[in-house]
Amino acid sequence: MTTSTTGSVAASGAATRTIVTGSASGIRLRRPGSRNREQLVSWAFLAPFLVAFALFLIWPIVHGIYLSFTDQSLTGAGGGFVGFANYGEALTDPVMWQSMWNTVWFTLLSTVPLVVIALLMAALVDRGLPGQWLWRLSFFMPYLLASTVISQIWVWIFNPQIGAANNILKAFGLEPLAWLQNPDTNMLSIVIATVWWTVGFNFLLYLAAMQNIPSQQYEAASLDGAGPWRQFWSITLPQLGPATVLILILQILASLKLFDQAYQMLGGVASDTTRSIVQYIYEAGFVNYRFGYSAAISYVFFALIVIIGVAQALVSRRRKEL
Amino acid sequence: MTPPLDLSRRQFLTASSLAAGAALLAGCAPGQVSASDTQTLQFWHLLSGGDGVTMSSLLDGVNGAQDAYRIRPTVLAWGTPYYTKLAMAGAGGRAPDVAIMHATRVNGWAPGGLLDDWDLDRLADLGVDKSTFPAPIWEKGFVGDRLFSVALDAHPFVMMFNTDVCDAAGVLDTDGRLRETTSPEEFLDQLRTVGGAASGHALSYGYLGDGAQMWRLFYGLYAQHGLAMELPLGGKAVIDKDAAVESLTFMQTLLDGEIAAAQNDYGSAIAEFATGKSGMLFTGVWELRTMQNAGIPFDAAMFPTLYGTPAVYADSHSFVLPHQTNADETKRELTYQFVADLLKGSIGWAEAGHIPAYLPVTESPEYADLIPQAHYAEAAEHVVYDPTAWFTGSGSSFQEDFGAAVQGVLLSGDDPAAAIDRFEARANTMLAQPNPADPEGTWKP
Repeated sequence: MTTSTTGSVAASGAATRTIVTGSASGIRLRRPGSRNREQLVSWAFLAPFLVAFALFLIWPIVHGIYLSFTDQSLTGAGGGFVGFANYGEALTDPVMWQSMWNTVWFTLLSTVPLVVIALLMAALVDRGLPGQWLWRLSFFMPYLLASTVISQIWVWIFNPQIGAANNILKAFGLEPLAWLQNPDTNMLSIVIATVWWTVGFNFLLYLAAMQNIPSQQYEAASLDGAGPWRQFWSITLPQLGPATVLILILQILASLKLFDQAYQMLGGVASDTTRSIVQYIYEAGFVNYRFGYSAAISYVFFALIVIIGVAQALVSRRRKEL
Repeated sequence: MTPPLDLSRRQFLTASSLAAGAALLAGCAPGQVSASDTQTLQFWHLLSGGDGVTMSSLLDGVNGAQDAYRIRPTVLAWGTPYYTKLAMAGAGGRAPDVAIMHATRVNGWAPGGLLDDWDLDRLADLGVDKSTFPAPIWEKGFVGDRLFSVALDAHPFVMMFNTDVCDAAGVLDTDGRLRETTSPEEFLDQLRTVGGAASGHALSYGYLGDGAQMWRLFYGLYAQHGLAMELPLGGKAVIDKDAAVESLTFMQTLLDGEIAAAQNDYGSAIAEFATGKSGMLFTGVWELRTMQNAGIPFDAAMFPTLYGTPAVYADSHSFVLPHQTNADETKRELTYQFVADLLKGSIGWAEAGHIPAYLPVTESPEYADLIPQAHYAEAAEHVVYDPTAWFTGSGSSFQEDFGAAVQGVLLSGDDPAAAIDRFEARANTMLAQPNPADPEGTWKP
């Protein structure tokens, strides 16, 4: 790589930019074939990633589609082509629909507090509280914990006999609950634990967005006589629009992936009211050994995510047009 | 600066990755080959905690007693992860030489060719045959005409009782054993009497979020009606509704908040009994060590027969031969030897609470001296296992499905009949699915 052309490319960053992005005449300066060579080199640098990408992402996706049309079993048996039988079974399987609903229900239950509480915490830290670093640290800290750790913590908090949650209820003269074991409350318990665990991430995004709002706007507003509430509603909230869209998208995708904490907090037990679609995919494949069926459910779930994604894209595009 | 080795960066990277690769490969190599012709046998099991400690010392015993083989155990977390890994090893044809499975899981596995069957003649030559096992335990090892599992033990659901509390309540006989009860009413009366003497509840029974625990009690009671559920593949579940509802209603009565706490999970119930607060505990025998370590005065008994037919829910840890594509004949021979050796030495296994399946052990005077194990040994003659189907058994989704269907009855007073209907519907859904180990249904035992 010591030819004059590449040498000149490397010599000056500014020149490089012109050659690559701008003038066509710059490219003509090179010796014929050097462009191909350059491309080859860049592909070579990309190759390790591309191999991993193809092997662990593209291939499983393609192979999964194939599996979903077979009765392949984890035990090595089966593997014959069964057409759409797995999809037919999935679409008429009440447990599949219940799990799908549980996942959506969890997403609805968790996304709202995860956005609203994060916003409130960020507003408190940004505007009012002294010792900002301490609050930032403590609000964000739980997010750094592994799912196994938070599951253990909350299993003890929700313990029906000696847990902190029931002690609080008793202190207020309320009946103790079997938080995680009662089908009426177990999803709520998982939502509470999840909010505590992950709200810190959204909080940080909101805080960063708030600190990016130019302070002149607040100064101008207060000169015009706007109080703190007015400023919050008319300056802070509108300026947080893009951050909110980002947080919502990330949050919905994260919530749809519900598995770890629900599985761990219930000790791997499948409860009709908390079994998420990811857990059902796992159960079909690794408890009941039906890879084909498991793959089919995955693609039904994939369809749901695509629908949500498209809907989200449409909504945000309409918002831009407005 | 000159590097100590005159290597270019690339040469260095190549060399070091080769070295790392070699180290990895060395890790895959079979255990160290000793100078003598001792064979190493791979043995997978799922026994952890106190059971794991006991198993280790048993293995040390058999390893030390001869030179022909050495057992190399691999312990994996029990439940789904264990069975998934063992199934995959069997599917690949490179499974361990011998493994422990729950007897109730064998039925889902044998049809897929995941297991090799045991040769009855070879076992008999080593002193292991039909006559050396309680009938229901030996028979459970068969799928069709072939023996796929040889039981090490039976671990039934039993009743432990605090002897101080029960003595104070006056429900013990002159030998210090719990007075026998033969009907639900009689048993409830006994429990209420015990409740008067206990500082906590009469009975500790943890079930919340634990389908297996609900199933163990329920299916024992159901079987005491002289019935067994049938789950024919591709057909409909055969469940006697009256018996099922009666059993479930009885469980509901126990959890009235007076006899037993209405909301108790497994761990809390164990803790309640282990701290001497309650008079009785419904539990698997595997908690025996826990109670001995707790130092409370207690004894154990077979679950009382309340509906006419003696029956207790149980499962067995059983030896299986995971399928090997190219089984080494010498190792197979030694595997038979190992299983026979371990069965004959299974008195040590009784210390963990389990009832050894091998009759010469339980009929020995040594075993009769083991208290409280000997007090529930008769349970081995009356064990009932999960109904036979590919999706049932310990650590399967079946028991959890049962729990999901009936927990509302125990926790919040839902209608037992509706719960049994829910459970039946779920069982029928599962029956409509083919055995994944044999999706075409071509396997014949």
